[in-house]
Amino acid sequence: MRGTYFHMGTDRDRIETYLPLRSVEFHILLSLAAGERHGYGIIHDIEERDNSAVPDVGTMYRALVRMVESGLIESTGRTDPGDERRNYYRITPRGLRVAKAEAQRLHALMRAARLGGLLEKKVT
Amino acid sequence: MTHDRLLRVSNFWFRLLLRVYPAEFRDGVGTDVMEAYKHRASVMLNRSGVRGLAWLWLRALADALWNGLGERLRPATSSRRTGDWGRDLELARRRLMRSRVFVAATIGTLTVGLGAFAVVYTAVEKVLIERMPYHDPDNLYFVWRDQSAAGGLQRNWLAGPDVADLQKAGGVIEGAVGLQLSVPTLSARPDGEPQQTLTMLMSPNLFELLGVSPMLGRGFAANEVGPARPSVIILSHVLWKRLGGNPSTIGSTVWLSGSPYTVIGVMGPDFRFVRHSNLGPPQEPDAFLPFMFHLKDQDPLNPNMTTFASLIRVRAGTSPELVAAAVDDVARVVNARNRAVTPIKLYPIRLQDDLVASIRPVLLALAIAAVVLILVLTVNLSSLLLARAAEREREFAVSRALGANSSAIVRAMVIEGGILGLAGGGAGALVGLWGARMLVALAPLDLPRRNEIALDWSVAAVVTTVGLVLGVTAAALPAAWVSRASLSTLISMGAVRGAGSSQRLRRGTVIAQVALTLMLLSAGGLVARSFEQLLAADPGFTPSGLLTFRVAMDPRLFPKAEDAFGFQDRVHAALAALPGVRNVSATTALPLTGSAPQNSVWGWRETITIPGAPGNTGDSQRDSVLVDVITTRAGYAESMSMRVLAGRSFETARHENVQEALIDRHLASQFFPTGTPIGATIPFIRGKSLRIVGVVKQTRLSSLHEDGRSQLFIRAEDWVRNIPVWVIKTEGDPRALIPEVRQAIRQIDPRIPISSVQTMDEIVTDALRQQRISVVLIGAFALGALLLVAMGLFGMISGSVVRRRGELSIRLALGASPQAMLRLVLLEGALLVATGMVIAIPGMIAAGGLIRGLLVGVSPWDPFTLFAVALGLLIVTMTACYVPARRVLRIEPARLLRQG
Repeated sequence: MRGTYFHMGTDRDRIETYLPLRSVEFHILLSLAAGERHGYGIIHDIEERDNSAVPDVGTMYRALVRMVESGLIESTGRTDPGDERRNYYRITPRGLRVAKAEAQRLHALMRAARLGGLLEKKVT
Repeated sequence: MTHDRLLRVSNFWFRLLLRVYPAEFRDGVGTDVMEAYKHRASVMLNRSGVRGLAWLWLRALADALWNGLGERLRPATSSRRTGDWGRDLELARRRLMRSRVFVAATIGTLTVGLGAFAVVYTAVEKVLIERMPYHDPDNLYFVWRDQSAAGGLQRNWLAGPDVADLQKAGGVIEGAVGLQLSVPTLSARPDGEPQQTLTMLMSPNLFELLGVSPMLGRGFAANEVGPARPSVIILSHVLWKRLGGNPSTIGSTVWLSGSPYTVIGVMGPDFRFVRHSNLGPPQEPDAFLPFMFHLKDQDPLNPNMTTFASLIRVRAGTSPELVAAAVDDVARVVNARNRAVTPIKLYPIRLQDDLVASIRPVLLALAIAAVVLILVLTVNLSSLLLARAAEREREFAVSRALGANSSAIVRAMVIEGGILGLAGGGAGALVGLWGARMLVALAPLDLPRRNEIALDWSVAAVVTTVGLVLGVTAAALPAAWVSRASLSTLISMGAVRGAGSSQRLRRGTVIAQVALTLMLLSAGGLVARSFEQLLAADPGFTPSGLLTFRVAMDPRLFPKAEDAFGFQDRVHAALAALPGVRNVSATTALPLTGSAPQNSVWGWRETITIPGAPGNTGDSQRDSVLVDVITTRAGYAESMSMRVLAGRSFETARHENVQEALIDRHLASQFFPTGTPIGATIPFIRGKSLRIVGVVKQTRLSSLHEDGRSQLFIRAEDWVRNIPVWVIKTEGDPRALIPEVRQAIRQIDPRIPISSVQTMDEIVTDALRQQRISVVLIGAFALGALLLVAMGLFGMISGSVVRRRGELSIRLALGASPQAMLRLVLLEGALLVATGMVIAIPGMIAAGGLIRGLLVGVSPWDPFTLFAVALGLLIVTMTACYVPARRVLRIEPARLLRQG
């Protein structure tokens, strides 16, 4: 019942309400944007990307559960041949929009930081 | 350990940590989490060895604690299997937020009630429960002398040799000290302005006995006592601060009534010690001096010179009975030494019990009133929650029918009550913080340890806990009811509109509230009536327009009697010349300050006989009476508006060789049941005789409402006496005269200080403080409870009218008159109130017995008061019923019936 309410609500469709994302959430969306992953695969991706940002396992899975609930990602229902209970996730269209919006927000911040002299100017 | 072994231990640890997460989370992603941790563990072990693995374990622990508990507390997570307090809390919070008015009203009520509870609890805790700040205070006892067998006081001070006997006793009595008070003047310089300073004269070992030592300097040495003692003094912290608060005070000199004394010590700021008095409040000295004599040498010829309070310390672990037996042994020694015909008794009372004895009944009555108030609050909250639950009865029944867990519903109710109670308790503790200050302002000056009364964290914690327990208890009744609600009972009762069986429970709560409230009201009514009696009491004088103050005449400034007389006459003339002054006089004992410092030191008692009086019985014991001797200047009776019953008061004119006296009506009726006392003579001190010139009503020395010891007034002009207290009867506001009075005395002799400036009205107010505080607090409790019960009935009856609308409209349609319907509804309320009142009768009797000690001039079961209180309750409650019941008159049967 309540789930329906959440998905039908207008607020939930507005991308800005999700922003800013926590870094773990952004990393998850980033990984899933490249394709389906299971939880540990996402952690692996993050390790590859930036070893200092690796989240705790609990933090990571709580974020996954929360993001499924809010419709940014979804469980694929695909089972792993090795362990049938392992969950695979994929990004939803809304999740993609949110990830892009967050990236733009970060980009804008970066530009501001450069103009303000906090970062060295670099041609992009 | 092999890698496999380590990884197995590791897996076990992770599985354990996974339990911290709620079941639902584990069901969803538990395997994944385990997988991820396993993976990490093996990576870690390969990369960093055992140390890295250990670090991971710790990290995982922190992770589980943070995220696992966080997940459990997350409101939206529903974990139906184990229950989720976080979700319940959130639901209760949301439900409460939807009815803000209800929440505000409930928390407001609880705040006021619990705030009052906090204040009373603080006072009780600090005064009655918390131990005194001495070493092993339970082993300290005051010893009193019971002379009632010889017609004397039941609680009297000891004679000096009695205290010496206690000191010699040994056995369980480890030590004993004698204590006396004096009011010398003290100045920091020989020519400085002298201040009257309440000073304790004592055995040098008082501080050792208490187990305390001075903050600065030293205490008295054991040999610093007796006629040859050095002139040494110890100051209280307050006095030391007043003198500048300088550490170099140690070793400096102060002048006590003109003689130099060396300051050897200063007590700490927390040190408090009071000399207990045989009558009236204890007194706290500002300075301490060892006796200038040995106790055993104190007037052994007059065994009734009882002027010493005595404190003993007994061996740790001695039972009160053994202490009493040891003191009894000393009494035998005393009686043998005095060769007493009628033996005296000595008895010990524990220091703290003795100190709080007079205030204990008030505080206990207040404590009980506070507890009853808490009960009323609980019942009230319970009925409110029940009403709220009844509104949702259908919802509960349907959800139960659909398989909802009844324990979840109960939990929700209890949490709701708990939140309300906790909030009320927290707010009540805050209110108590300010309330406690008000109590101190309102409290009798003689409330023991009043300086220590302040709300602290422990009290705040207790009050908040009481609030929480109150809330949860209050929720238990509706919760129990809700858990029973089921669709089948609802349908079978045909009460699909809701509020069926809950109504019975609500009636029960109303009855309980009425009963509890009536108990409080009856106590409040009795205390108020007793206060009224006190205000109406005739203390033997008229306080209005009277200004009183002390003029201390240092004997060394007036070596000759004529000088003292001359000074007093000049003061009299100067005061009489002030504008608006109608009468001027002076006395040794001001009314209602019988045990205040200004009198206790000067208190003069004599045993008198009136030979040849018709009332003499021939029994010499009975024919000699202990009287308070009050010395006054002429004009005292006029200034105080004393009631002269026969003869006349003192005249200003002096007659050589005639010493005049006034007796009170008790002496007159004892010695002169027939004939007139005027002209009779009383043999008095120094071989002189007093001639009785008049009979007066007592000017009561210690109590406003009852006569004390018989009083004998003698005329100051006939004797060389220091008359310290002056009274001025003025036409206007007596306080307005204060500057002129000071000016007048300073002009006569600048070395003479005046002090204790008070109007007589202030003295009367002070004497009534204890009663006033009882009236204010118990009255407030009772009115609060009355308000609650009125609110409860109002809600009950309006609910009832709404619920019975259908039935009532059918009756109306069938021809019943609206008035008859109104009566029907009112009867419902009246029945509840009457039931509550009947139930309250034993409670009222018990309450009367409990507060008996507080009542003056009114029986604890005074029928008039109790009837008036019950009538008042009936009127208020019936009004609370009548207002909502009137809705009956607005029922339009036709429309209602059409609506079905």
